[in-house]
Amino acid sequence: MTAPVLEAHRIRKSFGGTLALDDVTLSIAPGEAVGLFGPNGSGKTTLVNVLSGLYAPDAGTLRFEGREITRASMDARYRIGIARTFQIPQPYPALTVRDAVLVARSGSGGEAVEALLARVGLFEQRHMPCARLSQGCLRRLEFARALACRPKMMILDEVFSALSAADEEDLAALLRSANRDEGAAFLLVPQNPPLLKSACRRILYLDEGRIVRERMV
Amino acid sequence: MGKNHTLGKTTGALAAAAGVLLFLPLAGQNPFLLDVLTTGFLLSAFAGSWDIVGGVAGQLSLCHALFFGTATYACALLTTLLHWPIPLAGAAAVLLSGIGGAAVGALAAPLRGPFVAVLTLAIGEAVHELVQGNVFLAGPEGYAWGGEGGIPVTLPWDAGSSLAAYYAALVFLAAAVWTMLLIRRSRQGLILRALEGSELTARASGVDVAKHKRRAFTIAALLAGSAGVAYAAHVGRATSADFSLELSFQAATFAAVGGRGSILGPVIGAFCLHVLFQGLDVPPGTRILFYSLALMLILRFFPAGAAGAVQRLRDRRGRSKGRAER
Repeated sequence: MTAPVLEAHRIRKSFGGTLALDDVTLSIAPGEAVGLFGPNGSGKTTLVNVLSGLYAPDAGTLRFEGREITRASMDARYRIGIARTFQIPQPYPALTVRDAVLVARSGSGGEAVEALLARVGLFEQRHMPCARLSQGCLRRLEFARALACRPKMMILDEVFSALSAADEEDLAALLRSANRDEGAAFLLVPQNPPLLKSACRRILYLDEGRIVRERMV
Repeated sequence: MGKNHTLGKTTGALAAAAGVLLFLPLAGQNPFLLDVLTTGFLLSAFAGSWDIVGGVAGQLSLCHALFFGTATYACALLTTLLHWPIPLAGAAAVLLSGIGGAAVGALAAPLRGPFVAVLTLAIGEAVHELVQGNVFLAGPEGYAWGGEGGIPVTLPWDAGSSLAAYYAALVFLAAAVWTMLLIRRSRQGLILRALEGSELTARASGVDVAKHKRRAFTIAALLAGSAGVAYAAHVGRATSADFSLELSFQAATFAAVGGRGSILGPVIGAFCLHVLFQGLDVPPGTRILFYSLALMLILRFFPAGAAGAVQRLRDRRGRSKGRAER
């Protein structure tokens, strides 16, 4: 059996008196495509934030390729290959698209960054300030940023929201290619359930901070 | 090509300004004017150093005078008490300012936005009060040295305005601006600009935000310390005004007027405003009033400062030219 790339064991997280995550345990294999589904307020974004290092859990452990990362910061996790995207992108307004990706791709030259921008369909906009990008382009930039660390695990929070059908199709193809060609596992939190079925092989159902069900697609 | 053209224009304008400043004293040596210009060069370098942390990295520091004052006081104490030669005292002073910057950076690193401003304001004012020596530690007699009267800097030359001081300050400003522009264009500068844009996205891009904030404060403090050493070597005295909130506030105002984050904007803004107010011999109290007024007007009508307004004008011209060509 393949060792998991990301493991969460009995994760708990509460805000004041509200328990947002209650003993969440999950395991994602290398290259696995997993979807996370649940009603509003079920704890999806909290789980994404805990897995990516934005929030520290109150209890439980997290492991990445066997190493414990429970207390590792979000930037440290990115550097070892856990990338995440945001539900609402927060671009660097004054930086160009190329520079924004260069920030993430430490040690790489401009050529590698431009190749990545070409791959996500932002080559033409590479000298444009991020503040002038459309919603679709911002989502593509989020993808480029996530791919820039050559991720082994991608955590994608509503990355397809507020997109045109064409943009959604393009990004879904990109995600499939990162998963198939580079073996990047991903945890996808989509807004539209049909996408879960087309992009994921396993779906986890979260409700009231607990994983209540999982099923293979 | 458009970008290169713009860069060429900027370089040309800077070369022309440098040429004017280079030959200006030859037109006639007015000691008052020479002093105003010399001090203006040093204050411009100080404003540029604020822009590294306050503009490029977006950390609103209100204790920048702390690093300037640390350097002037270190120069004064080391040369006068310990009889160190000024080059050695200057190097130690810059180093001390850098250590001060690293310490403030370590305290400010976990904070964001207005909290950085409040923290640095508190640190700056506490040190200013201590240096003034009239609040907590000193009795009616105060310190033997320091305070408003200041401490002399022992120099192997006569302090004050001279042609040599003018050219030395001009060379210092050119070297400081060149260094600051190099920093801004480096990978370190790119990361600082990313912090200014979005700390959250920077963290999600693998950037150790706290480490780079500490670096921003340290680099800016080293540069402010260099300006402090040059200033101490020019005026031959360190006074408590070198630590004042007024000086920190001036740096932030110059940057806002010139265009935060552009380095050249704050440097040019500082030079023009200083020469204008000092040249017209406007009293310090009135000067603060004018600075505040300038700050309010700029933030209301040109939030990106003069550099931002020029850039917007260029963009607009470029777009209309593009439309005309199509």
